[in-house]
Amino acid sequence: MIRAEALTKRFRDALAVDGLDFTVEPGRVTGFLGPNGAGKSTTMRMILGLDAPTSGRVTVNGHRYATSPAPLREVGALLDAHAIHPGRSARDHLRWLAASNGIPTTRVGEVLELVGLEGVAGRRAGRFSLGMGQRLGIAAALLGDPPVVVLDEPVNGLDPEGIRWVRELARELADEGRTVFISSHLMSEMALMADHLIVIGRGRILADSSMAEFMAQHAASYVRVRTPRLAEARELLVGSGVEVSVEGEELRVSGRGTDAVGELLGGHGLVLHELTQVSASLEEAFMTLTADAVEYHAHSDLTGPAPHAAAGELTGVAS
Amino acid sequence: MTAAVEARTPTPAAATRTPGFVDVLRAEWVKMVSVRSTWWTVATTFLIGAGLTILMCWGNADWLASPEADESPGSFITFGTMFTPILAVIFGALLVTTEYGTRMIHATFAAVPARGKVLTAKALLAGAVMFVVGLVTALVAYAGGNIFFEREGIGIALEGDMLRAVVGGGLALAGMAVFTVAVGFLLRHTAGTISLVLALIMILGNLVNIVPGELGEWLTKLMPGNAVMPVANVVSFNPNLLEPWTGFAVFLAECAAVVAVAWVMLRRRDA
Repeated sequence: MIRAEALTKRFRDALAVDGLDFTVEPGRVTGFLGPNGAGKSTTMRMILGLDAPTSGRVTVNGHRYATSPAPLREVGALLDAHAIHPGRSARDHLRWLAASNGIPTTRVGEVLELVGLEGVAGRRAGRFSLGMGQRLGIAAALLGDPPVVVLDEPVNGLDPEGIRWVRELARELADEGRTVFISSHLMSEMALMADHLIVIGRGRILADSSMAEFMAQHAASYVRVRTPRLAEARELLVGSGVEVSVEGEELRVSGRGTDAVGELLGGHGLVLHELTQVSASLEEAFMTLTADAVEYHAHSDLTGPAPHAAAGELTGVAS
Repeated sequence: MTAAVEARTPTPAAATRTPGFVDVLRAEWVKMVSVRSTWWTVATTFLIGAGLTILMCWGNADWLASPEADESPGSFITFGTMFTPILAVIFGALLVTTEYGTRMIHATFAAVPARGKVLTAKALLAGAVMFVVGLVTALVAYAGGNIFFEREGIGIALEGDMLRAVVGGGLALAGMAVFTVAVGFLLRHTAGTISLVLALIMILGNLVNIVPGELGEWLTKLMPGNAVMPVANVVSFNPNLLEPWTGFAVFLAECAAVVAVAWVMLRRRDA
């Protein structure tokens, strides 16, 4: 279990992490989502005691990471897969890690096999592809067979097969009862991997809910209707008690499926040019949610609406 | 909840003992011997230190034995020590700064959150390895160079100042390596660390001489490079420097100061 309490990190002129409160529970995959520069990596570095919080605290299994007698056997982390000496072999990289925490050397062969690198274990890591480096990083994270696993952007640079492998691995680790905390800036990836979602932007929490809840709340769907008799159709639909909005030349109907909408309008002899079920993608929901938190937009909006207001806009469009 | 999870998670590793400083040393040892730069630096130290010395003794033995010689054989038998400190500096720097360069230092401090232990382990290893390398280099240089001196009847016995210089050859390189390890943790940059230490011992060490009067003399004596080297030489290259053991003691104090600053900064700064 990982618990952050009012966790804050201020660099010289910027507030990178701004009072985060969250809990990462064991037995499920928790996705940590946010645009670049949202504070994900800084948060993960504070979990591992690499950066000291300016205020607040973060604990792993109830204590500070640094006080763990054998941290690699308690928390396995992948922070930066390419942070390896290019001249050292994969096996030697894992060997020094194992030695530092009193992990038996036999474990090195085990994790190499687990990530599928046993064939290239003796090769210098500098010659590794992006994906191989990522697998080595994951091998390092699993070396101590830790109950808590923290992976920062683990699918970066992986091919589709590798991405699926990470997804299945994360699932397996969670099913074994471990705490799995995975960061990403890709909503689509998280949607497939995570049970629980923590979304941050500009160092603040924007959402902290189960994946299902998040989907229901943010990925609204509607029926798109195009008809030459727009106003009539709108009146009919409003009259039947559904929510309708007009977007240019089309109507957006929520709360009813295509069948119901088609039958209602067809029953009144209205010609339809289009009748489509549209599901707003989670990616879109995420973009809308974090739009105000993206670094480049930081000063573009002087009124600075609260992030939640931005999330509301999406529902507004659909209703 | 935590306990339940730990119970459900089969961790064969957790059954083993709690790691200690020896494990940190072992990890740093594995790191050190698993990159080529270590072997290149050690081999170059030996080749330059011993090879150059033997070459100089071979080429100058007859002149040193002649009446017109105005130098003693003792200043030639440790000739290589003019250059080997450079390699000890490179060795010490690479142990630390390549980790910062590759950002592998994060993995190191995640594995060993007690950063002082990492500094200590690296300093100990750098010192121990460079002591052995410096000692062997000085011994081979002596043995090889002395062959030519003995042919000319000016051989030096391995005793007194000569024996001290051989041991000192190890001590001086060990000292420079440890000093640079500490600077490496402060600067976190390979080129920066190597240039700074080399500038300090090779350029600034000579430059302070131009400060007029007694102040300049003392500054020259106290500069780390000038303080540490006499212990490795039978006859000091510069007669105005401190006595060998006095100088080495001064250097140790300076080295301890830099290590202490590095230690404090290491604990205070973000990795």
